Amino acid sequence: MDALTAALKVAASGLGAQSERLRVVSENLANAQSTGSTPGADPYRRKTISFASELDRSSGGQLVEVNSISRDPSDFPVEFQPGNEAADDKGYVKMPNVNVLIEMADMSEANRSYEANLQVIKQARDLISMTIDLMRNQS
Amino acid sequence: MISGIGSIGALQLKPEGADPAAGVFQGIVSPTSTENVGTSFAEALGQAATKTVNTLQGAEQVSIQALRGDADTRQVVDAVMNAQQALQTAVAIRDKVVSAYLEVSRMSI
Amino acid sequence: MEPVNLFDLATKQSEWLSVRQSAIASNIANANTPGYTAGDVEPFEKVLDRTAVTLQATQPGHLGFEASNAGFTIKPEEDNGAIMPSKNTVVLEDELMKAGEVRRSFELNTAIVKAFHTMLSMAVKS
Repeated sequence: MDALTAALKVAASGLGAQSERLRVVSENLANAQSTGSTPGADPYRRKTISFASELDRSSGGQLVEVNSISRDPSDFPVEFQPGNEAADDKGYVKMPNVNVLIEMADMSEANRSYEANLQVIKQARDLISMTIDLMRNQS
Repeated sequence: MISGIGSIGALQLKPEGADPAAGVFQGIVSPTSTENVGTSFAEALGQAATKTVNTLQGAEQVSIQALRGDADTRQVVDAVMNAQQALQTAVAIRDKVVSAYLEVSRMSI
Repeated sequence: MEPVNLFDLATKQSEWLSVRQSAIASNIANANTPGYTAGDVEPFEKVLDRTAVTLQATQPGHLGFEASNAGFTIKPEEDNGAIMPSKNTVVLEDELMKAGEVRRSFELNTAIVKAFHTMLSMAVKS
């Protein structure tokens, strides 16, 4: 496989990885207030995603793939909400360990990486097209 | 390598001028060169061909430098365009010369 | 040393640029991969020196293209001090700038090839 096609493949894997990351971020954001349903129950635990690079034999490029989607082990913050159905006997509710600001920052980072990968795809495609154009318009 | 292009001119000529296309004709039309005014037509053609070959070689040199990565883009573009103009002029002259020769050879005595 | 063939040099440069593009793609795709070190191809001048040496080493009549198939090595980039806690060394802006350079060089390359090819055809046409 020639280098430009390899670049396309690598960038496509990057797009896939960043899309997964965005999906995880949106899950976290959507569940930022999801408490448990019984008293003292655990709420939604934040998900984290990690990538790993993999050498692709046929193209010689370093693809990226999702290594794992795991849970953030940090403690749940507690809030005083005695009316909540998940409130324990003292009226405290365990809230999800999702920090909205961090998730938003992660989302914009993921967008930036996604755009960069898209740029690579466009450029690789243009370079291939330029090479083929050498043959065109031969009078 | 581009000597294939240079071989279209086997004659000798020596016009002056920065503009390759006009310069080719200037040498023939206006005898401002320091050589004697009576430059024969064959010599004039040879000069034009030499100038074309030099322009082409210059363009090739600049292009090779650009491919290695250290030439100014504008310089490369200018050199290559000059070379294209010079080549087109030289080819036009060549065609005229050939057709003129054929016409003369067809003349009945 | 013999004069360099323009078209051969152009082909070699476009191969080098393509490999560089794939290295940049790998860097950008792995911008968030922990432990990944950014890589880049060796400079084109080095490639030319290496090829010249290789070509002279073989027998005179035998100018094959093994040198060009040897590939261009991709080496890890030098440390520019911007290592993240995750040991990732990719700087996205640098990669995008390099991509821009690759594009410009590639455009110049194809334009030169096209122009000289046209000139050659013009000279040969009767």
